[in-house]
Amino acid sequence: MNMRKDKPGKGVKNMSAFTRIFTYLCLAWALLVALVPLVWLVISSLKEDPLARPGFQLPESICLDGYISTFKDLHVLRYFGNSLFIAGISVIISVIMISMSAYVVARMEFKGKTLVTMLLYSTMFIPATALTYPVYRLVNSLHLYDTRGALIFVYACSGIAVSFFVIKNYYDNIPRDLEEAARIDGCGYVQTWLKVIFPIARPGIMTAAVLAFLNNWNEYYWASLVMITREKLTVPALLSTFTTAFNTNYNGLFSAMVVIILPPVLLYCFFSKFFIEALSGGAVKG
Amino acid sequence: MAGLQTNKKKKNKLGMRRTGFIMAFLAPTLLVFCVFYLYPIVTVFATSFCKWDYTNITSPEFFGFGNLWDNYNYIFNKYPFFWEALRNSTTWAILGAVVQIPIATLIALALSRKVKGVKWVRNIYIVPNMISTAAMGIIFLQLYNPSYGIINPVIRLFKKGFSDNILLLHGPAFVAMTCAYIFFTGTTTLMILGNIMAVPEEVREAAMLDGASGLKQDWYIVIPMIKGTLKTVSTLAATSGFLIYNEVYFLTKGAAGTYSISYVIRELAISSPRTQFGRANAVAVIQILAGMVIIVVVNLLYSMNLGKKRIDR
Repeated sequence: MNMRKDKPGKGVKNMSAFTRIFTYLCLAWALLVALVPLVWLVISSLKEDPLARPGFQLPESICLDGYISTFKDLHVLRYFGNSLFIAGISVIISVIMISMSAYVVARMEFKGKTLVTMLLYSTMFIPATALTYPVYRLVNSLHLYDTRGALIFVYACSGIAVSFFVIKNYYDNIPRDLEEAARIDGCGYVQTWLKVIFPIARPGIMTAAVLAFLNNWNEYYWASLVMITREKLTVPALLSTFTTAFNTNYNGLFSAMVVIILPPVLLYCFFSKFFIEALSGGAVKG
Repeated sequence: MAGLQTNKKKKNKLGMRRTGFIMAFLAPTLLVFCVFYLYPIVTVFATSFCKWDYTNITSPEFFGFGNLWDNYNYIFNKYPFFWEALRNSTTWAILGAVVQIPIATLIALALSRKVKGVKWVRNIYIVPNMISTAAMGIIFLQLYNPSYGIINPVIRLFKKGFSDNILLLHGPAFVAMTCAYIFFTGTTTLMILGNIMAVPEEVREAAMLDGASGLKQDWYIVIPMIKGTLKTVSTLAATSGFLIYNEVYFLTKGAAGTYSISYVIRELAISSPRTQFGRANAVAVIQILAGMVIIVVVNLLYSMNLGKKRIDR
């Protein structure tokens, strides 16, 4: 009955005192690192004047002015909309594209397969920053500069390697019998992929999509490079205007920061199970 | 005879279809690769040997073989921030592999034990990694603020009357910037944790019978078994350390000796009023080469370590 509980080496009871203390120290450190900046940020955002009560002192009275003005004056929802639109569209484009080519590479033999695989993997180690100027010029010559299309273009094209890796791994684990059965039933190649393989590989494809979405949502370098018009900016790009825009209105700055980091954190809270399984390669259950 | 021919025809048709399918499914990705990676890389390499700046934006001029290395010469000998940037970026790359990965591994090992509340800690530890580094940069900028942050009061415990902005002090600024990102290893920890959980239970039981439990078991059994993952995440941490940009931009804008290679490239190519594309691309070439060196070095280090382990046995 108690087999599970008594598994060796894992339960608290079986640990030596040293191991136990060490474990708790590591866990405490993890909590400290993750919570100190965020808790401080939230506390500060509730103070009317963070200068008067610096550090971790609790606010005298809770002041929500900053939060109200974040929505009313900063129109923060508009930037959330921009980010959602840009990150969403580019993820859809790149994931469809990659799941098509990953399928071909995972399942079919053809000349130059090794070359294609190598080329796609190599993109993992080509730093996007090194391509700053050529890509910037490309965006300009495609007449995309300062449009949402520019960022969709950049995001859909970058990060090929990770998605390819994740999706191809998933395909590799799908038994080949399924395709053969579909072929015998008279399905063509495209149909087989669309109706049989794609639905089965959906978890793997979703993993790649979630990782890519998070990356695109948080991306700052290109977002600040190819966009100028304030109304079109994504959330991270908006941040660079913060240090000057708020000047000495620290309450406003802190509140806006809290609001801005909230969506990814909330998304994570709701789907933490999913995120954790995706990031750990399915081995850790949420 | 006739039947065989139609059969052949059918096969041929099927082969054509197959080839067509392969080409059609590969085409979009290959097109993206050529447009977004191949063409820019070729441009970067080629124009790093060209005079190309704000005076001739549309037409880069090849230096000729006599002055082939002019841009590199300028970068190495005249540009004031290159060596500082290279030193910083290299340090961040090393810290990625030497500090981030051990921290991530220790926390992953702690999370792999069935202790009360371990799921909570795990879920909370990943939260900072869900937030963009740009936002974390701004949060740390506030934490380091001398008048309302929380770092200066801590320093004042040891050094009375300290009121400087640590981001403006040569030395401390670099440390402060490093601390603004290095401890957030949530995603790396999860990748390692995933691998630890995949270590078969039988192996652990066998180790227990041999008297290896707790930390001993981790060191002798678990770590060698997850070496492949550790190599991958070390490479990723070192590479991303070398590429740091956001932290520099939000915390110091390169002041107090905190330039990074990415920051230099962007400054030369875009943000400076006298943009110098050729020279920016020369730095980019160095960045690409350094990335390759990092991969080779990490791989070498891990294979050396493995060799040693085998001799030990």
